[in-house]
Order: sequence, then C-alpha cells, then structure tokens
Amino acid sequence: MTPSAIALVGNPNVGKSVLFHRLTGAYVNVSNYPGTTVEVARAAARFDGSVDLIDTPGVLTLPARSDDERATMRALLHEPLRAVIQVGDAKNLRRTLTLTALLAELGIPAVLALNMHDEAGARGMTVDAQALATALGIPVIPTVATGGEGVAQLTHQLADARKLQPLLHYDAKAEAAITDLAARIAADAPHPRLAARGLAILFLGQDSEVEAWLQQTAGKAYVKLAAARGVAQARGVAPATLAHERGEAAGTLAARVTARTAQSSPLLAHRVGQWVIHRVWAWPILLGVLYAVYEFVGVFGAGTLVGLLEENLFGEHLNPAITGFVQQHIHIVWLADLLVGEYGLWTMGMTYALALILPIVTTFFIAFGLLEDSGYFARLSVLANRLFRLIGLNGRAVLPMVLGLGCVTMATLTTRILHSPRERLITIFLMALAIPCSAQLGVVLGLLGGISFSVVLIWVAAMVAVLMLAGFLAAKLIPGRRIPLVTEMPPMRLPLIGNVAKKTVGRLKWYLIEVIPLFLLGTLIMFLLNQFGALSVVIRAGEPLVSGWLGLPPEASAAFVMGFLRRDFGATGLFALSHTLSPIQAVVGMVTLTLFVPCIASVMMIIKEQGTKIAMAMLALIIPFAFLIGGLLNHLLRAVWGAGA
Amino acid sequence: MSPADHVARVPLSFLLPGAHARIDAIDDAIDATQREQLVAYGIAPNRPLVVLQQHPMSIVMVDEVELALEESVARHVWVKRR
Repeated sequence: MTPSAIALVGNPNVGKSVLFHRLTGAYVNVSNYPGTTVEVARAAARFDGSVDLIDTPGVLTLPARSDDERATMRALLHEPLRAVIQVGDAKNLRRTLTLTALLAELGIPAVLALNMHDEAGARGMTVDAQALATALGIPVIPTVATGGEGVAQLTHQLADARKLQPLLHYDAKAEAAITDLAARIAADAPHPRLAARGLAILFLGQDSEVEAWLQQTAGKAYVKLAAARGVAQARGVAPATLAHERGEAAGTLAARVTARTAQSSPLLAHRVGQWVIHRVWAWPILLGVLYAVYEFVGVFGAGTLVGLLEENLFGEHLNPAITGFVQQHIHIVWLADLLVGEYGLWTMGMTYALALILPIVTTFFIAFGLLEDSGYFARLSVLANRLFRLIGLNGRAVLPMVLGLGCVTMATLTTRILHSPRERLITIFLMALAIPCSAQLGVVLGLLGGISFSVVLIWVAAMVAVLMLAGFLAAKLIPGRRIPLVTEMPPMRLPLIGNVAKKTVGRLKWYLIEVIPLFLLGTLIMFLLNQFGALSVVIRAGEPLVSGWLGLPPEASAAFVMGFLRRDFGATGLFALSHTLSPIQAVVGMVTLTLFVPCIASVMMIIKEQGTKIAMAMLALIIPFAFLIGGLLNHLLRAVWGAGA
Repeated sequence: MSPADHVARVPLSFLLPGAHARIDAIDDAIDATQREQLVAYGIAPNRPLVVLQQHPMSIVMVDEVELALEESVARHVWVKRR
C-alpha cells in the first residue's frame, strides 16, 4: 500500500480536532477539556482528496497507558502514514517537545503546528518558530486553529514535512539497550515506516501496542526481544527514566526558543478559573450554573417551547389536520389507527419525537455546549473528586458522567479516558443505572418542574443517593485500587457561538437519526400489543408491581414497556399521563424510570465496550433494583406526606 | 537526613497559596504509571511551580498550565521553597 494518510497527533486539548475540521471540513466533536476524542476519526483532506486525514486522541504520555492513548499508538503503527502533523500548545512547549522527541525517534516525516499562540502571547510568551524549526529540522507553523490563522500556510508546508532531528541521546546504559534492541527489531520485525530505534524505545517503555505488534511480527524471535528487554530493565533502564530524559531535553530546547515578558497581572481567565473551585464561592457558582440550566432547559425548553409545539402547533393545528386527512382518505380502520390512533405512528411516535423531545434536547445541547467550551467541566472534576472518592473513582469520572447527561451512549465510549478497567466498569455501570440522558432529563424537568422545584429536588436527591450507594457497593465488590486524581485544568474561555452552534446541530442530527426510528418502532410495538390485547394483559400483569408496590395508575405499565426501548420514550409516556398523576406518583414514576434500563443503543455500546456477559449482568441487576428503589421511595414519601398527597 | 534538610524539603500539600517552589523529588509511594503521568505534566525534579490553591486539592501552575493534584499525591511530591 502506498502511504496516503496524514495523522494529527498531539497532547490532549491542544486543538487537533479543530484543525481536523479546518483541514477536512468534517466535524468531529470539539470541547475545552482533554479527552473529547477517544477514537480516531478520518476524512479526505480538502487540499488533496486522495489523502486521508486522521484525527487521533490526545496523548499525555507515549508509551501509551490509557485506552485512548493506545488508539493513537495503533494509528501510528498500522495506518499508511505519509507524514504526521504534530499539533502543540504554544503555551506549553516543554510538553509538546517531549512528544516531538519520541516522534523524532520513530522517523516519520513531520510538521509542527504551534497552536494557540494567541493564548501564549496573552501570557507574555513568544516562541521563536524559526529557531525551533532550525533545531528540529522541520517546518514549524504558528496557528490559531479556532480562527483559521496559519492553516493555509500549514497545508502549504505539508509538502516540506521531513524527518525530525533527534532531540537527545539517552544516558549510556539506556543507549546501549536501545541500540541492542533496535538491531534485533530491524532484523526480526522491521516496520515498513517506523524506525527500529523508536520502536525499541517504546518497547523499553512497555507500550502494550508496540509489544503486541512486535509479538505478531517477530513470531518466535519475540522471546529473544522480551529477554533482551528484561536484561535492560534489570540494569535499571526504566520507562520513567526514559520519559524523564525526554522531558529534560524538551525543557532545555523549549527554554532556548521561548522569550517571556513580565506579566503585569493575573489574567481574568485565571481568576475566574480559581473562583469556580474556591472553597466558598465554588458552591454558589455551581448552584447558579445548575439553576441557569434548569431555567433554560426545564422551564424554557420543556415548558415554553414544548407548550408552543405540542399544544399549539401539533395539538391544535397539525394533528387535527393530519388526523382528518387520514380518516377521510383511509377507510381501513386499523391502518388509520396505526397512523393517527392512540398509538399512532404520527400521533404518538412523531409527536413525541418532534414536539416533546426535540425542543428539550435542543436547549440541553446548547447549554451543555456552552459549559463544555467554557472549561467549567474540567474544574467540576476537581470539585467532585472528594465525593467520587467514596465510590472508588476519582473526579475524572465526572466528565463521562456529565456527558452522560447528554447521551449515555456517547458517554460510555468516553470512559476510555479513564485509566483503569476497574474505573471504566464502575463508571459504565453507574451511568447505565442512574445517569439520565438529556431527553429524559428534559422530560423529567418538564414533568416534575411543572409540579414544583422541590419535587425536582426530591428526584435529584434520590438519584444522587442511589448513585452513591450503588457506587459505594460497586467499589467494595469490584477488586482493584482507586487511582488518585491528577489532572490538567484548561483555561476558562468565552465559548465561541459558532462552535456551540455546530456542535448542537451535529448532536441533534445524530440524535434524531437515532431517535426517530426507535420511537416509530416503539410506537409500532405498542400499537401491536394494543391491537392484540396484549397491552391490557401486560397492564394487568404489572398491576401488583406498578399499582401495588409503586403506587402508580395501572396505565403507567405501558410507560415501562416503552422504557425498554428507550428510557426517554418511557418517560415521555409518563409525561403524557402527567395530568392524572399526583406529585408522589410523578416523582416515584420518574425515579423508577430513570434507574430503569438505558436505551437499546447504550446497551449495544456497553456490549461493545465490556462484552455481552457484563452487559447482561448489569441489566439483571438494574431492572429489579429500579423497582425496588421506586417502591421504597413510594412508601417513604407516603409515610411522610400521607397517602392523600 | 540532617535537620536542615527537614526545613528545606516539604510536601507540596504543605505550601500556602502563592508560594513559589522547586520540585525536589517524587517519593516511592507514587507508583510507576502515576509517576510517568506526573513527569509528563511537568511535575519532575528541578522544575519550578507556583501554588495557586490548596482547596479542594492542590492546584499548581507549571509551565503555564494549571494542574490539580489530590492530597494523596501532593503529600508525596517533595518541594523546596524558592
């Protein structure tokens, strides 16, 4: 295969995905926190349609240690790369060059995009790109990817990509081991594009992807490679010392090409960043943010917009017109019913999807996008760390969980940023159990918010209690050790409206493509169950559980049947019943449904990430647990407020 | 270890906000993977840092980047005041 791909590689949160969008026109999710990209994305380059551009997850360290870093290493090993574009943060040249030092050893032609040089400038730093280019022997282009600055020059200079000058010699002991291993790799497992020396360094650093590749390629000779590495390690050539030497060399070069002017006062971004995690101010700010989201999504989205769409547009104009039209022209009763009856594809499926869910998720995605781009979420993981320690996790797990409030399916994939399989398992389980997705959240806010803010708080308290209890038990039961939190906090930034809009549209498109077929399928199933009388059987069979234990009206059983398909579909079903529910019934129903199985898509994703066995075990735990908690809450609330409430 | 060393070397978690320090060592209580991660973030011997906050955890500025370190890590990072 002729090399025809170019990869974007770099540290986390340096703007690879923004640049990818600039170079291909394809949009991948972009946010202001590390770990937005967990899988490689590819698209044809704008400047040359025959070239595939590959966006890779950010790497904090190579040799790879986490699943997303391994994905990047796999891309380097297996993609037919012609060159790499290293994207670096101009504010943090030392870290950028630490990665460059490793890329240099791999012998891939490269260019360096020195991104965010505007932010470096705001901090009184200037990088001499020319001097850096001379030292590295490759083109170095200062860019501001979000504004498109330097992108044309970058494409232009891609043709000049060449192999990097080595940045360092390791100490004598390490060099001897590297030379020995490189000679063995060159003989037994030569790589078509990557230099044996670089592979030797990664192998010494215990990169699991390089290990796997060597094992496969060297065959029987791998034993000798592993033995040689063992000898080197016994002599004290450790992954950490190699990494440290790269860091030192990078630091020296960075200091040489960076000039600093004294900074007059701390940047406003810094001060805001400190307020939001201040020991006192953090909490009113958090409450303020939550309240603003509630007002925007729960009151404006689920109240005002849904009212306009569902009651006015659909209820008074569209649905009567369509129902009239169908009944006039279609005389087969069941077919007319299928389209516009109680469980009609239009009157239930499309109305739910477009009039109830769409305005809610739109407002949620806008709010979420604004928060994402501001840099607030990374600070949230610092605030949440103490709480998460109780459930065997660290604050980093807040990111997938908050993303789960958008879409649990997407968030399940994002758990790859976590560092241990144990953390991933606990996080995925807790998300499947107790994290409602945006659609469901919107319906919850719409239904419960319509009753009172305190009912919303009861629901929130129940969810947090379940999350903590289940997490506490999971942490006790799942063997392994908790990893303490060490994380970077990206600067607070004013969100770019254009990026938030693009992100919202992208998410809505994805959402509607997934949601409408499932809503229609769900409606069809409900219609069939109803037609053949099975629905009343289900409702009767569910009565002891639903009416007796949960204290809900019998028709609510239908909502749980719908909930099997998607939790929000079920929640919407409950929403449609809302005028007949008491406050206790509403909150019990919503708590049970929130804990209930997540949607089919997210179950598929759990199977993909954790295997069928674990996914099934999760479901077997979650379904009875949901009813157990719902019932307990029902009895508790009735005991406190009396049965009449 | 002489008494002078005790005065000079303190855990990162002991410094007050605003303190400037230089990293002396990361002790062996930190496992190899986490040590690598710290080094990658710039928490490596001889590097300067500024403490920004100590609540809810140690927040330090290294190389123009704000890092947050949990207390269980910060108490094993030994620094010398500058």
